Amino acid sequence: MGALLEVSGITVRFGGVTALKEVSFQVNAGEFLCLIGPNGAGKTTLMRAVTGIIKPDAGRVKLDGRDISHRPTHERARLGLALTHQIVRPFRSMTVLDNVALAAGYQRFHHILKAMGSVDRSAERQRARKYLELVGIEDVADKSVVGQPLGVAKRLEVARALALEPKILLLDEPLAGLNSVEAARLADTITGINRDGLTVIMIEHNLGEVLRVSQRLVVLDNGRKIADGLPMEVIQNPSVRAAYVGKESQHAAA
Amino acid sequence: MGIYEISLATVVCINIILALGLNMISGFCGQISLGHAAFYGIGAYTAALMVKAGFPIPLTIAAGMISAGVAGLIVGLASLRVRHDFLAITTMGVGFLFLGIVRQQELLGGELGISGIPSAGLGKIGYLAVVFAIASLSAVFSLWIKRSWMGFAFDAVADDEDTARVVTVDVGAYKLAAFAMGTAMAGVAGGLYTYFARFLMPDDFGFITSITVLSMVAVGGIGSVFGVIAATIILTLMPEFFRFISDYKLLVYGALLFAVMRFAPEGLAGFARDAYRRLTVKKQAGETV
Amino acid sequence: MLYLELLIQGLIHGSMYAVIAVGLTLVYGLLRILHVAHAGLFALGGYLGLLITNATTSLPLGMFTSAIVVGICGMLMYRLCYQPILDRPPYVALIASIGLFIAMEEIFRLVFGPYGLTYKNPPLQSQINLMGITLRSAEVGMVISALILLGILAYLSQRTRIGIAWRATVDDPEISKSFGIDTIKVRYLNFFIGSALAAVAGVFISLLSNLVEPTMGGVPSYKALAIIVLGGLGNVTGTLIASLLLGVVEAFGTIYIGSFLDRDAIAFAFLIVILMIRPQGLFAGK
Repeated sequence: MGALLEVSGITVRFGGVTALKEVSFQVNAGEFLCLIGPNGAGKTTLMRAVTGIIKPDAGRVKLDGRDISHRPTHERARLGLALTHQIVRPFRSMTVLDNVALAAGYQRFHHILKAMGSVDRSAERQRARKYLELVGIEDVADKSVVGQPLGVAKRLEVARALALEPKILLLDEPLAGLNSVEAARLADTITGINRDGLTVIMIEHNLGEVLRVSQRLVVLDNGRKIADGLPMEVIQNPSVRAAYVGKESQHAAA
Repeated sequence: MGIYEISLATVVCINIILALGLNMISGFCGQISLGHAAFYGIGAYTAALMVKAGFPIPLTIAAGMISAGVAGLIVGLASLRVRHDFLAITTMGVGFLFLGIVRQQELLGGELGISGIPSAGLGKIGYLAVVFAIASLSAVFSLWIKRSWMGFAFDAVADDEDTARVVTVDVGAYKLAAFAMGTAMAGVAGGLYTYFARFLMPDDFGFITSITVLSMVAVGGIGSVFGVIAATIILTLMPEFFRFISDYKLLVYGALLFAVMRFAPEGLAGFARDAYRRLTVKKQAGETV
Repeated sequence: MLYLELLIQGLIHGSMYAVIAVGLTLVYGLLRILHVAHAGLFALGGYLGLLITNATTSLPLGMFTSAIVVGICGMLMYRLCYQPILDRPPYVALIASIGLFIAMEEIFRLVFGPYGLTYKNPPLQSQINLMGITLRSAEVGMVISALILLGILAYLSQRTRIGIAWRATVDDPEISKSFGIDTIKVRYLNFFIGSALAAVAGVFISLLSNLVEPTMGGVPSYKALAIIVLGGLGNVTGTLIASLLLGVVEAFGTIYIGSFLDRDAIAFAFLIVILMIRPQGLFAGK
């Protein structure tokens, strides 16, 4: 198995603050990788740099052996990087179904003139409905996204990303805000999708779920990678315990 | 129809093309433009120069459309650099820049404008028929775009550019397309206005005109084709039918624009939707009882 | 000498722009609204100042009363027009504000007539000679009062409780609220100060041309919008610098490219060029 995604030497500075310093990691095809670390470690920034939403000051991103470091976000997405936002951002003027149907039609609007010529949305809506069923929100398909509870909105993000038929699914805290039943169910869904062959990178705070579903962990702290390996080994790593678990217990105490 | 009614109908149709053009940019794609009149003006002046040089009508209008569309494409490029409020002010600046240039150009008649433009030679009724046909075409085109995948992608761009990118929408390309199509429509309207008025003045294409068009779109319900058409008809005819309003035309425009945004930001279209919903709810309630 | 004269003329215009634009940028910083109707308040200030001065023969009284009344009108405008639509998409407030401005212009025209009003005994018209350059006392008065007013504003915002509360609210309304700052009061204060400043600018402009007319708000308002965008929307210091800069660019521009573009077009050409180079304005907002 070769590396599907190769991230090397990503450095991001905001003003004088270094948010990420020379972070490198690889993801193999079919893998389920979890990205963990205390708050402010730079996990979301790393995802945004990988998908091109922010431009890193240094570093390269290779997808399937192809250098995509200089490609804009929408092209990276089309090449197979599908991202879900930590803070949900649905298209507010659309129904739940159309949010997903739009993504499912990514081939339709790729060529702008073709997009002008085609009006039929039924095939995409049908596919969208399947993704909604997959994440378990098909019953609100025809409702407006405005006013939907967070649990629905989070699952909508996942469904929309899946509709892009990506090579890699990048999930930024998909379980946050869900109750434990919903979280376990969505985690199982994602694991199922991963078993069917889709590569997944997930940022998550819910350590129980992380250890249950992930095959490998990458740990960030203060913008640096401090560990990378099998979940059980990583979690025993003293520096990880110091940085991550230590702060977590502080959080718990606070 | 008397001559007066024919010319009113012609103005209404020209305004519909103009307003649907802005609706493409601001309504469909969510890019607020405060300089739409500049493209109307570019179309009108281009057509006027072509007429004077002896070109026949389809060519002059086409030239107006293309020059306005190209200018719109350039301003669209600006929209890729600046966003939201910055873009609104930039487009306002484009409007003033256009006016400033036109006023100082001998070739364009300066402050005095261009006069003595020959008519289209189709007769008043014949010309109205042409303008009406083009306005209808614009309406059909707008409805088609709204339903198409292009319109779907526009919805995404208008809602949230960053998320649109994440679902592979090439936001820049779609914005450029909206600007090019919307301003080309303004150019057509300008060309048609040239033959109708047969006399162009810089002030016909000033900030007030931009705002008037924007009010047609906003009062109609931003993004709604039928709403915009209805508002354009009402706002164009209102000062004519109620003569006493004529002196207060701008006051009514301003107050209406404010009142609609303050009390019913979704405009006539939102109003109609609510009324329809209320009606159907009542009907259903009636059936269950 | 020409350069110096142009520079001074530019700074005079620039200081007027600054007094108008600062109110706009305050509103933008706090509420993210492009407050076009600010120019209507500016014109209202001019009218009131002139009418009261003509009635009482006292310019200070006219200017002071005008500032207070217009300040209160500004607060009312916030309460009645903007507050109810703050949670709508930004274009709603923008278009509402444009509508309000047009309606105000028309009311001035209908109430005070289309040709404008003049001072019976125009005050501050004497000539002052400064380093070989002749200026009118109204011009000097405008620059001095701009300096004083903006100086007071800077002092208030840095040194007083209410000023600090105000800056905190501009920075982050949510956190300020949690610190017990009455953000609603801050908004009213904001509109009062911004509108009162616009009124003072309106009175000075009317002195310079000895005229108030319905459309007097138009051009300065569009330029003030250009200025706050140049200054980086919501950035007060940036706004002040951009005001002076635009005044100077216009002054030199009218001499060198005036045959190609008129004064207003120069201002907007400058705006567009700068925005293409720095889309976030000369001085990035916070």
